[in-house]
Amino acid sequence: MSIQRRELLAALGTGATAALAGCSGVLGNEGGDPGVAGETLTLTTTTSTYDTGLLDALNKPFQEMYGVTVDAVAQGTGQALETARNGDSDVVMVHARSLEDEFMREGYGVNRRDLMFNDFVIVGPESDPAGIEGMGSAADAFAAIADAEAQFVSRGDNSGTHTKELIVWEEAGAEPGGNWYQETGQGMGEVLNIANEQGGYTLSDRGTYLSQRSDIELTILVQGPIEGGPELLANPYGILAVNPAVHDNVNYDLAMAYIGYVTSPQGQQVIEDYTSNGEQLFFPRALTEDPDFEQYVPDGWSAESEE
Amino acid sequence: MTLGTRAVTHGYDDGAVFEDVSLTAGSGEVVAIIGPSGVGKTTLLRLLALFEPPTEGEVTVDGTDAWTLGEDDRLALRRRIGVVFQEASLFDGSVARNVEYGLRVRRSWRERVRDELRTLANRSALPDAVTDALDVVGMADDVHKHADDLSGGEAQRVAFARALAYDPDYLLLDEPTSDLDPRNTAVIEDAVTAAADRGIGVVVATHDMHQAQRVADRVAVLLDDSVIEMGPADRVFEAPHDERAKKFIEGELVY
Amino acid sequence: MKGVGSHAVLVVLADALGALPLRPLLTVFPDVAGPLFVDFPFETQYVTSIVYVSLYVSVLAVTISTLVSIPIALVVGFSDFPGKRLVTAVINTGMGFPSVVVGLLVLFAVSNQGPLGELNLVFTKEAMIMSQFVLATPPITGISLAAVTSVRADVRDAAFALGGTRTDVALTVVKEARYGIATAVLAGFGRAISEVGSVLIVGGNIAGAGGVSKTRTLTTAIQLEARQGRYGTAMVLGALLVALVLVVNAVVVRLGDGGTLR
Repeated sequence: MSIQRRELLAALGTGATAALAGCSGVLGNEGGDPGVAGETLTLTTTTSTYDTGLLDALNKPFQEMYGVTVDAVAQGTGQALETARNGDSDVVMVHARSLEDEFMREGYGVNRRDLMFNDFVIVGPESDPAGIEGMGSAADAFAAIADAEAQFVSRGDNSGTHTKELIVWEEAGAEPGGNWYQETGQGMGEVLNIANEQGGYTLSDRGTYLSQRSDIELTILVQGPIEGGPELLANPYGILAVNPAVHDNVNYDLAMAYIGYVTSPQGQQVIEDYTSNGEQLFFPRALTEDPDFEQYVPDGWSAESEE
Repeated sequence: MTLGTRAVTHGYDDGAVFEDVSLTAGSGEVVAIIGPSGVGKTTLLRLLALFEPPTEGEVTVDGTDAWTLGEDDRLALRRRIGVVFQEASLFDGSVARNVEYGLRVRRSWRERVRDELRTLANRSALPDAVTDALDVVGMADDVHKHADDLSGGEAQRVAFARALAYDPDYLLLDEPTSDLDPRNTAVIEDAVTAAADRGIGVVVATHDMHQAQRVADRVAVLLDDSVIEMGPADRVFEAPHDERAKKFIEGELVY
Repeated sequence: MKGVGSHAVLVVLADALGALPLRPLLTVFPDVAGPLFVDFPFETQYVTSIVYVSLYVSVLAVTISTLVSIPIALVVGFSDFPGKRLVTAVINTGMGFPSVVVGLLVLFAVSNQGPLGELNLVFTKEAMIMSQFVLATPPITGISLAAVTSVRADVRDAAFALGGTRTDVALTVVKEARYGIATAVLAGFGRAISEVGSVLIVGGNIAGAGGVSKTRTLTTAIQLEARQGRYGTAMVLGALLVALVLVVNAVVVRLGDGGTLR
């Protein structure tokens, strides 16, 4: 065929391709897929949360709904928040209210929601050398352990559990230290193993303890609030989005969609239904008829107190 | 065509190895450099092989100072020279692979890649030059043997073929037979003569007077830091001009 | 280097392992491991995806590292340049450099806050490859350096004298030193695939909700199990890792020999 006709056909072909390309994905979607399809949400959370396996169950429906991938990175509370501060994650799920508050005050976290809670328990050997069994006050129990200088194994890693442990020591008016107090810098599972082998006490989240119960000989000596124990041992979880004003690269849309999902009736049901070894591990907390303003701001914040 | 040195002095940090050495080898002639061990024969041969520039003086190929040329030109000159060391210094591979080394490096990269692929597909034939060179030293039947499986004499013969395969204009041999038995020595010496007959200019460094007598057309005596005697082989051996040369030759020829 | 005995053993092992049908073996795992006293609750897909990530990251890192290391070894071994002593010192120090520190440095670099933030490499296999590259290069370079400098000078001279360019001489040296270089590569691979700390920091140990690994390697999976106190499962994964290393060693040695015993 002649050169001119070839050029015309080529031009038509290019034009058609360009037009089709414009239609499919680049400019926008006409009905059907949500705008976030194909994207990845980076969620940083604590090792104890991750190790319960909750996230696999919780994230699957979300991934299917939106056609996205959730990358859950288990890092430990301090590291999870630090990663978010660096803008390397989009949403954070942790259980250390004081650290979450700090995160918000520094401007890194927005839209905090209460997500769920479980509790801590104080576990130890059946012989109970410090005599804390059945005590109604966690602080008193810790004080007794300190007095008896009984073996205590600590996470020692700035995790949510460790943060709670330090709060209880403070309440007890005791400074833990000396040969009987071991800071291991390890995860909860390993700490339970160490305490088991040494016949020592430790503070554990109920979920990890339950999943290891068959392998260790420690028993619950002081219950958490779920089973009627002291409120101090409550373990509330919060979820926060990383502030897009500080890091413009974070996937804020998807983070908000995720928070919306996990605090929705569907998400909260998944949380409630999740069991390990036949026991429920988490108790949903996001949905309340009465307003819960405290979840949105740092503990004790009020407009007047800022002046 | 000649390969040679002109007033070359060479030394290292601790002093000169030799001074003011001039000698040339022309097409088809065999020049023997004789002298005691350690006098600098190897150093002189390395200069002729264009390994490094002399401290003073010139190394000339066909009259041109090789070290005034650019790298590429000097490489071209080097490629007209074949070298056989005292140790065979074979590569870790088959006899064929060793002998065709010189041919291989002279081909373009594209050709080399194609050759390798053909070898891997077992569809390559040995170049004639390889078999011809091996014929000269009587090793044509051992073409697929591995270098490690050769005796000292066989290895040296292969080393000779390796230097011969790319048809050089000059051949340098550094004490080529000092570790060999008489039979292999004879093979090498015959090969030297055959090379000279082909028109190759040969320089042989040796401490074996009898060998020099057998193969050389001209002889240079390297003694006490310089060439103290040079000339036709017969004349140098029968009537050396220099007293020290005379003493040396007579001393060596006792055996 | 060319001991017939050791090569024979590895060749036999490679043949034996090659004959094993690996995929069916993995599905047998849960059944076999179960009654054997360990709980092996994993799907085949999970395990194969972890193995894939381990190999992908380590093999790529070692390949790139080798391509960089061999020229460096040749330059350091055979030429003089200002700062040569410094380079040699860096290589030697690098061999013992704490790997978790490398992980931190790579994290700082690829983090959103860091110089390479634009590339979005945090928690990706590519960042893991970077950190393993940094870890594998010193041993590969150092051992290759020892191997190439132990090539006899007269062989090098022969390659030069017979009309080879500097590149030809370098190629000849590499060929002569190939067993030592293979050792170097295996050493680098060993260091890479055994890495835990740095790949955990830069990769995040991510596995999708469906049980497919994104940045989870055998080593970080082992760490995950151990952290939860599941040492039995961790040991099974560990055995798998050891088997993998043995197979890779056997394959490299086999390639180096070209299939024949020397």
